[in-house]
Amino acid sequence: MEIKNTRTPPPRLAHVGGFHSSDHDLLQQLLPLVTSGLEHGRPVAAALRPATMEAVYDTFGSLPGLLLLAPPEGNDGGSGQTLAARRARQLRELTLTAGPVTVVTEHWNRFDGLDGSFWTELDAAMNIALSDLPVHLTCFFPEMPLHLEVVDGARRNHPQLLHRGEPRHNPDYRAPREVLADRPAPAPVLLGAPDTRMVFGAWQLNDVRTTVERALLAHGYGRDRAEDVVLAVNEVATNAVEHGTGEALISVWEAADGFVFEVQDAGSLRDPLPGLRAPHPSEARGRGVWIARQLCDSLHVWPGRTGTHVRMRATP
Amino acid sequence: MGLAVTRAIEDLSLVDHACVIPDSDEHLWEVTAAWVANGLDAGDRVVYFEDDTADLVLRRLNEDHTCVRHALEEGQLVIVPTEATRAALAGSIESIGDILVGQIDETAADGWPGLRLAGESGPGLMRDGGLEKIVAFEQLAERLFRGHPTASLLCRYDRRYFGDSAVEAMRRVHEIELVSPAVYDDTLLRITHSGPAAVRLAGEVDHSNRLQIRRMLDATLDAALRSHSAPTDITLDLASLRFIDVAGAVGLVHAAEEFPSTHRLVLTGVRPRVVRVLDRCGAPFADQLVVVAADA
Repeated sequence: MEIKNTRTPPPRLAHVGGFHSSDHDLLQQLLPLVTSGLEHGRPVAAALRPATMEAVYDTFGSLPGLLLLAPPEGNDGGSGQTLAARRARQLRELTLTAGPVTVVTEHWNRFDGLDGSFWTELDAAMNIALSDLPVHLTCFFPEMPLHLEVVDGARRNHPQLLHRGEPRHNPDYRAPREVLADRPAPAPVLLGAPDTRMVFGAWQLNDVRTTVERALLAHGYGRDRAEDVVLAVNEVATNAVEHGTGEALISVWEAADGFVFEVQDAGSLRDPLPGLRAPHPSEARGRGVWIARQLCDSLHVWPGRTGTHVRMRATP
Repeated sequence: MGLAVTRAIEDLSLVDHACVIPDSDEHLWEVTAAWVANGLDAGDRVVYFEDDTADLVLRRLNEDHTCVRHALEEGQLVIVPTEATRAALAGSIESIGDILVGQIDETAADGWPGLRLAGESGPGLMRDGGLEKIVAFEQLAERLFRGHPTASLLCRYDRRYFGDSAVEAMRRVHEIELVSPAVYDDTLLRITHSGPAAVRLAGEVDHSNRLQIRRMLDATLDAALRSHSAPTDITLDLASLRFIDVAGAVGLVHAAEEFPSTHRLVLTGVRPRVVRVLDRCGAPFADQLVVVAADA
């Protein structure tokens, strides 16, 4: 007979950090996690360097059902929050059908960028984006990375650290808000002069929509896609005039292979990474940016000297 | 000449030469589509002089479930293309008169019982000859259509192109002004009553008008809920709702969830774009919300 405790709260994210001294040490710690997941009948998801991935395949065979998590974009990793939102989407889908998931990820220095802070943003964003998912996530880092920030960020972002194969409470853990206050999400690379710039207030949101929609359709975006992108831009623009000082600026870079929009306002961020947490049905607020993140290929929010910036990229 | 008295009427069939002063674009398409539909219904020939506006009129006719395909094929509905409209308006008042008389004669010769004319004359006339030409055009129209047994003309003067004094002047020249009352019109969104416990939204809902809309909807719903004879389905006709933002859609979902269990909120004619937003905002999980998509 099986006795079920129906009072158990739904499982939430367990986010564990692990440090290794060598590739061999890494595998010694990582492979048992995969074994344990498989033994419990849980699906496994991974974002690992190719060499580590090969070792996993050598040990476990082809691992049918293994979910490969989205990789970082570009050599500097790009937007940690965008990657976290994308991985959250993959894992939300998987957990909906398969229940709890074991996830292993690994630091890879080719995405360090200038100072390694990409990883700090990514892990802080993962804490927010995965908070309501039954995911057991273990992230591995080298003990001696090129950039010290990688270790510092890992210590602040993981509520538990692996110690001799067991997760232990980590006293250095800090909530994402605090981590991001010390090390805000970085500004993305500068773009050239935009094709369109427009100052708008709450009563010009329809002008913003009209301008954006016309440009998208002129560049061959399908009607449904154009309408979805307009919705995403509208939600970010609405946030800017709602929480900012009432006036905001939108810049548009037009390209047939992907429009870029940047919205800036003079307000400060109430939530350093808005729209990452899945909105609760009863909440009216906070859903707009979440939906915008689902609709855009990337959506990066960062604090500038004069206010808040949001950059969106949307392919056709 | 006696004092002109403007009569405000809603019955289109009583009109010979009337003006409409639209509160908004949606209002304009509402009145124009009603004018066309009423003429087609009566079996009259309808001629519309477009100025890159035919798509918008046809779109509204479609949203109103007025089928015009047959009328277009049979020549009952004629759309004068933009180039021809502009060329006609650029001509002298005499030549414009010849064109209108030609239309009246042609209609009679083809055996139609009557003729309804409408179109985008104002901006073109203003561009080519200023207010003076408009006044001359109106005098001509008055001469041709006032009291005409079978031919009628609908003029429109839009506050976007005409100042307040010009609009008032036009109002004075027309004996009849067509009015269609709205519950709400802020030029972005227009709300009209479409029946007991039923309202129709035309235009766009966003951050700028969301609160007023919520207030107005609450009042409409409240009145329906209090009335014993009103239906238990509160209907919002969204056939002409072209955009809704996330908070607006969440507002509709929440409104339905707050209904007493005896009542439902029914959204009809919902365009695909609006359906997608509603889907993303939890509409499929709201038991008392019914979303009826527009026919493809």
